[in-house]
Amino acid sequence: MFQKRSKSILMAALVLVLALGGIATAQAPVTVEFWHSMTGSRLEVLNKVVADFNALDPTMQIEPILVGTYEECLTRFRAAYQARQEPGIVQIYEVGTQTMHDSGMIIPAYQIPERLGETWDFGQYIRPIVQYYSKDGNLWSWPFASSTAMIYYNADHLRAAGLDPNKPPTTWEEMYEYGKKLVEAGVVKHALSYGWPDWMFENALSLHDLEYANMGNGRLGRPTEVSWPNEFTDELLDIWAKMAKDNVWIYGGAEYNANAAFQSGEITFLMQSTSSLDGILKTVGDSFEVRTTFLPRLANPKYARGNSLIGGNSLYVSNRVSDAELKVIFEFFKYLSRTDVSVYWHKNTGYFPATNAAVKALMDEGWFTQSPNHLTAFLQILSGKTDTDASAGMRMGPFAQSREWVRTALEKIANGEDPKAALKYSAEQVNALLAEYNEFFE
Amino acid sequence: MNRFPNHRILPYALVMPSIAVIAIFLIIPFGQAVYLSFHRVSPFGALRNVGWRNYVEMFASAEYLFSFRNTMIFSALVIGVGLTIALCIALLTTQKIRGAAFYQIAFIWTYAMSPIIAGVMWSLIFDPAIGIMARLIGSATGYSINYFTDPVAAFLLVTAASVWIMLGYNICFFVAGLQNVPHELKEAAWIDGATTWQTFWVVTFPMLSPTTAFLVFVNTVYAFFQSFGMIDVVTQGGPNRSTEFLIYKIYRDGFGRMQEGQAAAQSVFLFVLIAIVGAVQIYTSTKKSVYDR
Repeated sequence: MFQKRSKSILMAALVLVLALGGIATAQAPVTVEFWHSMTGSRLEVLNKVVADFNALDPTMQIEPILVGTYEECLTRFRAAYQARQEPGIVQIYEVGTQTMHDSGMIIPAYQIPERLGETWDFGQYIRPIVQYYSKDGNLWSWPFASSTAMIYYNADHLRAAGLDPNKPPTTWEEMYEYGKKLVEAGVVKHALSYGWPDWMFENALSLHDLEYANMGNGRLGRPTEVSWPNEFTDELLDIWAKMAKDNVWIYGGAEYNANAAFQSGEITFLMQSTSSLDGILKTVGDSFEVRTTFLPRLANPKYARGNSLIGGNSLYVSNRVSDAELKVIFEFFKYLSRTDVSVYWHKNTGYFPATNAAVKALMDEGWFTQSPNHLTAFLQILSGKTDTDASAGMRMGPFAQSREWVRTALEKIANGEDPKAALKYSAEQVNALLAEYNEFFE
Repeated sequence: MNRFPNHRILPYALVMPSIAVIAIFLIIPFGQAVYLSFHRVSPFGALRNVGWRNYVEMFASAEYLFSFRNTMIFSALVIGVGLTIALCIALLTTQKIRGAAFYQIAFIWTYAMSPIIAGVMWSLIFDPAIGIMARLIGSATGYSINYFTDPVAAFLLVTAASVWIMLGYNICFFVAGLQNVPHELKEAAWIDGATTWQTFWVVTFPMLSPTTAFLVFVNTVYAFFQSFGMIDVVTQGGPNRSTEFLIYKIYRDGFGRMQEGQAAAQSVFLFVLIAIVGAVQIYTSTKKSVYDR
């Protein structure tokens, strides 16, 4: 009797345990790692976006992990994939586009809804972004933090030098002239500096609808050589060299070092990514008036109009994720594309709002009239060409190295060396790297 | 023959952990590096055997030879200038002056600072746009120093910062070494009519040689390997690769430029190089050092 009862209690307990276990497995949260490179003020914004997503549904969790610079993030993802330790989502800068396409490690973005039996309208994203990350008309990575380059300038400096702050320079020739006046008037020691100097060189080419490399700017096939030095780069770099010689241009390091000089009023013009906008506005505060404008062109009318380049990064998904993980990833991506989230992301970082709906919402609430600096880059890229390979942006395997070689050439030029010889040497190195990369596909 | 009677397994079991650690963290990775150095690695991890091509191209590469040359100059400066200054300061602080202990501590404490922090500090002080030193030099000489573009300025900046960060450590050991030099030997020299200068060269300096030999080795290791953190913070190897020393070049080629095979070949060569340098240093220092009292 007693034995029987204890047996039945035991059975009941067993059933209960199994049932609870069943519930537990049904509700065990699926967590997907998300590797990124968002540092500084952007880190907090990203963490907030992810935390808000995680609060929606406890069974779907994203774990953001800061893994270092863009370059390190790409390298680590490759190493991790080989060791089967890769995250579900990885943020890769635009430079890594070709490498990721060639990697065989990812699910192209357009295939994600297909695999889950869902549909998604990729037409809702801003055209130049879709263009940049598409291959054969299909989007390969999820649009996330896109930016472009523009000029930031200190309006107070222009006034102090007797220049009209409503007429910032539109050509490189004017930039030189303005810079000289500013330096001669003693307002600043140097007038201009760039962040990402190699990217500014790329932007100069695309802005004049000129390709960076052959094979349709690397968009039709793997490029075999770069297009520079050419007549255009000779003309451009002559001005840059002249600016360096006359203290108009001061070389400010590879990434964001030049921001400090602008924020402390040491220079008047800063060419930098739009993603620095909120950081700069916050740091400068009321100490001077920050304004922004389009990138300068060469005055020579023979060069066509192109567009500034999409920069920043997009999100890739590992092709080893399970369907359950992919479901979470897709939900997260849909969340990122939500209008309120896009708006929040844009307002707090300066990156583009990625969807048309977000742009409309921002316009309707008067954001662009309230903060016209947030509109500048947007107008610049939306008013430019998007239908040529040159304006859509280049693609190449050893892109990071190519940038490094362009930077080397610019450093030499800033230091007074001959621009043509410096760029030619770098071009030879890049062409050798292109050949080496293409060897992998023989 | 049984070397450990009655203990057949125990001695080996006891050294196993050390051997395992050495094997896992040193020998196996080294073997992999050697293997990798004969391959090219595609950006997606596929290996292709290229024989000796990585080595051949390494020695033919203008960039590698430039890096090699700069590393040698950098090491010579860090060791030569660094140890000379350290010895001078150590000699001063061991004199019979008021507050000698204070000076000793004041000079030594900089070693407590991490190279990264020191790097950030130096790069801000010499920042061409906002740095105080860049500005002082600019207004005093009219020469605007920009280590972002000027290879020589960048090289000197990194060298000066390295000498500075190692100074505390070097002084610390020299002070200890100087305190161990027996006073009676110096007195004997003085009685024999030697000048202070002669006493130093004939008595003090030879007595210091074990310390000097040790410091030369430590500073070599710093110049070849530990300078990495400083470089990464201050110049990232630039401008124009003037501060891309061998160890930093391996990192850049392997991790930034995705040339693992080429980086592996460089690291194997660096290993051979350091092994030779280390052997020479140990041989000469044990031969020349005056350990006897």
